Amino acid sequence: MAAAACEKRRPAPTPAAGPARAGAGAEAPGRALEGASEFLRQAGVTTMVREALLKLLEARPEEPVAFLADYFEKLVLSSPEAADGGGDPRGQPQRLARALWYVRLAHHSHRTAFNNNVSMAYECLGASGRRKKPGVNGRIYSELLRRICQDSEAPQEVTSPLLQRIQCRDHEAVPFDVFRYGVLTCFVLLEFVAKADTLYDVLDDGSGIADKRVCQAVLGTLEEALGASDFSVPIRYLEAGSKLGPDCLALAMDRALLERKLSTSMKREEFLKKAAVLFIAKVKPVD
Amino acid sequence: MLSAERFSLPGPEYLAQRHVLTYMEDAVSQLLENREDISQYGIARFFTEYFNSVRQGTHILFREFSFVQATPHNRASFLRTFWRCFRTVGKNGDLLTAKDYHCLLQLLCPDFPMELTQKAARIVLMDDAMDCLMSFSDFLFAFQIQFYYSEFLESVAAIYQDLLAGKNPNTVIVPTSSSGQHRSRQASSECSPLDGVEASLFFQCLETLLDRSKYSCPPPALVKEVLSSVQRLTFYGFLMALAKHHGINRALGALPDKGDLLLDPPMDQELEKLVAQVSGLSISTPASSSGEPANLPSRNSPRINSPWKPLHHRRKVDTESDISTEETDSSEN
Repeated sequence: MAAAACEKRRPAPTPAAGPARAGAGAEAPGRALEGASEFLRQAGVTTMVREALLKLLEARPEEPVAFLADYFEKLVLSSPEAADGGGDPRGQPQRLARALWYVRLAHHSHRTAFNNNVSMAYECLGASGRRKKPGVNGRIYSELLRRICQDSEAPQEVTSPLLQRIQCRDHEAVPFDVFRYGVLTCFVLLEFVAKADTLYDVLDDGSGIADKRVCQAVLGTLEEALGASDFSVPIRYLEAGSKLGPDCLALAMDRALLERKLSTSMKREEFLKKAAVLFIAKVKPVD
Repeated sequence: MLSAERFSLPGPEYLAQRHVLTYMEDAVSQLLENREDISQYGIARFFTEYFNSVRQGTHILFREFSFVQATPHNRASFLRTFWRCFRTVGKNGDLLTAKDYHCLLQLLCPDFPMELTQKAARIVLMDDAMDCLMSFSDFLFAFQIQFYYSEFLESVAAIYQDLLAGKNPNTVIVPTSSSGQHRSRQASSECSPLDGVEASLFFQCLETLLDRSKYSCPPPALVKEVLSSVQRLTFYGFLMALAKHHGINRALGALPDKGDLLLDPPMDQELEKLVAQVSGLSISTPASSSGEPANLPSRNSPRINSPWKPLHHRRKVDTESDISTEETDSSEN
């Protein structure tokens, strides 16, 4: 009996482990293997592993091991309550953290994965314990958006105009498509701001201060590209793209450089803010 | 570049490239081995601990060699662990033989093959006098190259032998008396009249290998740098140059620069504290005064105070006692 237990738990380290295990299997061919897969199924390991791998494949992170460690950790955090049958409402901060984690799992350009994760986040925020009526209200939705923006490097004054535009009132129920729209818009804006930030790096040429005229020329071109177009027509994307092509943009910058008067400058924050305003103007308000 | 590439790979290839399935399979088989304990402990928690220990690099401790060498990350983790556990050897300035180093390696990985240790020693000792004493850092950096780039080095050895035998069609080997870099050493165990091979030709042959190899290779630019600084070189001369190259060490990322190898203020403090405690207790155990009681699984007190994750730790102790009961069982029979 004890010996059998030892045999079963014999660790792999000894080189003989492989053959030994095979030998044990030979006594009851297939039984051990069957028992193992039965155990994995019943304990939920099979499902758990499959879901983890699917999430991993959706997100394709650079560091899969770290991703999996975080993934399982979240499972641990949520599982005791899940085991309780949802009797005890999870604390709101925890649900918020979990929702944040979900929406960050995949980049928004992987639209299917991103949509899946957003709907997981939506469910997670909406499942508020004992109340049978699930749903996300404006308060928690706005809080989520605020946290998304807060955790990024974008300055608050850049992001707050967007938040004002897509926030819902605290007691409003937020339907899923609004929720998705809001979350997606936040992520796109943050990426836009990050791009604008690198654009500024180019403009200031490492000096920390960029010429105001050149900045304005760039912003003007950007506005023109964004401004006139109605983006429901696909060809407008091409038009906008071509307006921002190197030739158009370089021309504008060149012109600005020629007519520049003595150095007035534009600070990075100002540039980012102005760029963001252009973007935000195109965002459909939620109300 | 790489980061964008991973999105275009088919799923299975992404998983294989990142060795995800190696870890997932290992996790599941560990889970099965300890299923009674783990089902109580929580399966998600077990996976969390497992992947956290992989992330931290502690997952290779006391594992079988086949697992330790299974992925580049495992190899790097092992190198790092070896360094961290035994750097006091270097600090004390002790010189050890290949056999001694092999014993140290086996403390971390019981079935670590002697062959690898010997190969590493050959790099340090340039293939002769195998029972010579080596310093910790010399051995460590040679061992790093040998262990981490094992497969690559095997191909290199084959190429080198071919070149020596003049098998490469482009080869024109002109014996020179003046240009040998490592004249005092013999190129390989079978005596060769030549002092190594021509470096530029050698690099040409390696270039394709560096391109194609599916195993870890040192960065091609650095290999080129090593080979372009000399005219001719021997196999062990080449390996030694790789082992001593700071850039290659950095690119590999497991160990600090040679100068920082023996520095670790937090560990030193910890040690001092422990030594003070021990001497305060006035119990003089040889293990605690000579080594790192907290971290080093020394022979006298195997793994009892080790700070590794409780789950794994517990399991390892279990397995160990299992082994010992088996042993006593068999001796009784």
